[in-house]
Amino acid sequence: MSRANKIVIGAVLLILVTIPHVTSDYIVYVVTLAMLFSMLTASYDLMPGFTGPLSFCPAAFYGLGAYSSALLTLNTGMSFWLALPVSTIGVFLFAIVVGYPALKLRGHYFAVTTFFFGHFVYLVFLNSREITKGPLGLGGISPPDSILGIDFGSMTAMYYLILVFGIITVAFLFTLVHSGVGRLLISIRENEDLAQASGVNTAFFKVLAFSISSGLAGMTGSLFAHFFRLLHPTTFSWMTSEMIVIMFLVGGSGTIIGPIIGAGVVTFILELMRFAPELRFIIWSVLLIVILIIEPRGLAGMYYRIRRRV
Amino acid sequence: MEDILIASKVTKRFGGLTAVRDVSLAVPKRARLGIIGPNGAGKTTLFNLFTGELNTTAGTIHFENQPLQGLKPHAISKKGIGRTFQIVRVFDELPVYDNILIGAIAKDLHFTPSKEQHQAVEQTLEMVKLQDHRNVMAKHLTLSAKKRVGLAVALVGKPRLLLLDECMAGLTFVEIDEMLVLLRKINAEIGITLVVVEHVMKVVMELCERIVVLASGEKIAEGTPREVANDRKVIDVYLGDNKS
Amino acid sequence: MDLFLLQIGNGLIVGSVYALVALGLNLIWSITDIPDFAQGSFYVLAAYTGYFAVTLLKMPYLVALLCGMSLGAVLAFLCERFLYRRWRERLFRDAARVQLLVAIALFFLFANIANALWTAKPRIFPSYMEGSLFNFSYIRINVLISAVILFILVYLFIMKTKPGKAIRAASMDPGMAQILGINIDTVNSVVFSLGGALSGAAAVLVAPLYSVFPSMGDLPLLKALVVVILGGFGSVAGVLICGLGLGLLEALGAMYVSSAYQHGYAFFILILVLLLKPKGLFGRV
Repeated sequence: MSRANKIVIGAVLLILVTIPHVTSDYIVYVVTLAMLFSMLTASYDLMPGFTGPLSFCPAAFYGLGAYSSALLTLNTGMSFWLALPVSTIGVFLFAIVVGYPALKLRGHYFAVTTFFFGHFVYLVFLNSREITKGPLGLGGISPPDSILGIDFGSMTAMYYLILVFGIITVAFLFTLVHSGVGRLLISIRENEDLAQASGVNTAFFKVLAFSISSGLAGMTGSLFAHFFRLLHPTTFSWMTSEMIVIMFLVGGSGTIIGPIIGAGVVTFILELMRFAPELRFIIWSVLLIVILIIEPRGLAGMYYRIRRRV
Repeated sequence: MEDILIASKVTKRFGGLTAVRDVSLAVPKRARLGIIGPNGAGKTTLFNLFTGELNTTAGTIHFENQPLQGLKPHAISKKGIGRTFQIVRVFDELPVYDNILIGAIAKDLHFTPSKEQHQAVEQTLEMVKLQDHRNVMAKHLTLSAKKRVGLAVALVGKPRLLLLDECMAGLTFVEIDEMLVLLRKINAEIGITLVVVEHVMKVVMELCERIVVLASGEKIAEGTPREVANDRKVIDVYLGDNKS
Repeated sequence: MDLFLLQIGNGLIVGSVYALVALGLNLIWSITDIPDFAQGSFYVLAAYTGYFAVTLLKMPYLVALLCGMSLGAVLAFLCERFLYRRWRERLFRDAARVQLLVAIALFFLFANIANALWTAKPRIFPSYMEGSLFNFSYIRINVLISAVILFILVYLFIMKTKPGKAIRAASMDPGMAQILGINIDTVNSVVFSLGGALSGAAAVLVAPLYSVFPSMGDLPLLKALVVVILGGFGSVAGVLICGLGLGLLEALGAMYVSSAYQHGYAFFILILVLLLKPKGLFGRV
């Protein structure tokens, strides 16, 4: 990584660390959301950005992680610190089961199937009233149990916790993407048939990428559940998946930093438009179309395009 | 000299169409075998059966005495069979160096590519004469350079058998000569067995010691280039009944 | 036994709606390789158009139906002409994906416009025909009959007319069709408009049965997608059979297995079939 990049990352981290001390609770809340979305988008990027297939159900796995973590702590008294890894691994395994048959499909078939799957999971959340309380919302979720004397009931503590997990997630993805495995994933994106003819077990790696991506989304869901402490099925509808896709496109695919920028930009616009929720979705969709017309590779794509001209 | 690839009564049917019928051939180690025939004769289908992209309807295929039936393409590739494609395939948005590196790590995955793997990429770059293009994105290369990248990706994996599907198509005379030199070198110095599907007759006649002729999915002739060129059946199949 | 027949009837009626939307999707997908999600929102807007035509403008039902179909056709035409067409030549690798994302964005866009304009409160579409036959209201029966008529009309158009032949040629091999002198621009416009009209028809036919609300297009869209994938491409009959079949399956499943997850059956069928035959039942793609 270049010196310039390292400086920028350092600066950003510094800013993130100091935010709770210098700004209001509201800003802390928004930045926490932005961090959660960054994690979602960065892990989502592993699929369409690095491996190739476009999936349309990250929100479903986000929701599965959130609900399973919440229900584990609420119904079995499990500690958050155990519920988090359990739900993460659970979602990871479930994603393997779903991904293995789904990834045999190419192109549009796969995207449509994931779209359907995402809505199906949402319907399950909505209709399983006894378990998830459906549209009434699942509330009363407790914050993580105190460790090292830290009280996670406070927004600041959760902020830092999510920041730590965010850093871990990004570091993990960065390492993965630059490793041998990451190169093979990219080879699948670039030319799946050539990759296969060269000896890459494309089926295996596609499912692996999908499952890691989904497992991380599940982990983010668990964090969200104990941060927001109220779960409603509409948080995990295909609108949210659309939002993740927009963040992914805005920021730029195929990079790690891209989705983070995208998530940050979009979250702030989201909050600015808090006052007109119906208008929000309309603007989202228009934004998505405009981005697709101007630069399907997002801000990162624009950056590389400009850099090549210079 | 034992045979590295043995196809025995290989048949492939697609519904009502029989693309390959009862084709048997044996390729000795280090040989240079050519497969020719008019369009639609089943040559590429036969290749796809060798590489696992298609499954045989009947018959067996053995590589180094191991059966290939039912194996997926990546598994067959790992066994030591490399191939190039009729319509050239490269990893478009990656530089040449990375393209070839993929060929190396696909066969032997480490956390980060090892020094030996990087060395192998360097050697392969030199062999296909693309050292000066190592950082050029594959999609920006000329056709000839792209073909050499495709060849390099297959070569770096140290295959013992190389299947080349019309690799001379679209090349100029000079480029064809260069490619011939390269292929002869691979065969003589490294000992890789070559099986070549070709339409460019000059290449087939000069490169191959033995030729198999396919027509309508069946093997109609086999022999040295001279024998095949004089075979009545072969002449008929290429020129038809018109004595023009 | 009576209940059983009732369910069969309901299944067929619901299935014919799926089949109508699926027919439009099928034509569009097989020629342009775009799963036009936007059809789901044209469905919604057409339903509102029909609703307002009847309630505000006091038009007879048939006129409202035609209005809905026209709206669907016009919207679809505009979307193709000014959006999808930009990436038709697929000059860069992700162009197909861009078209898919645009389709999805359009779906959300129009559905949310409906929500913003008219709120989520369901609108009751006034009944246009009284009376019933064997416990099926005439309105219900009309849905099935109208759907079948439309199917026959589309079938005749595709099979027996010259423009229809051009469309079939384009669906088999767009490049070749162009070389032979078929104007792909026109073919695309016609096919999209036709798809929009069919979705609009389905919506206005169904509206009196279940009321009109912004998310009414969600499930029909998904079911129609399943029908297209299962029914194979370029097969009008296949779409009808699969559409009716899915409707029947849902109705019988709701009766004998569980009604809560009625909408999930389509999904399970999809996964099951795609596992066994990754190219669809009649698949030709």
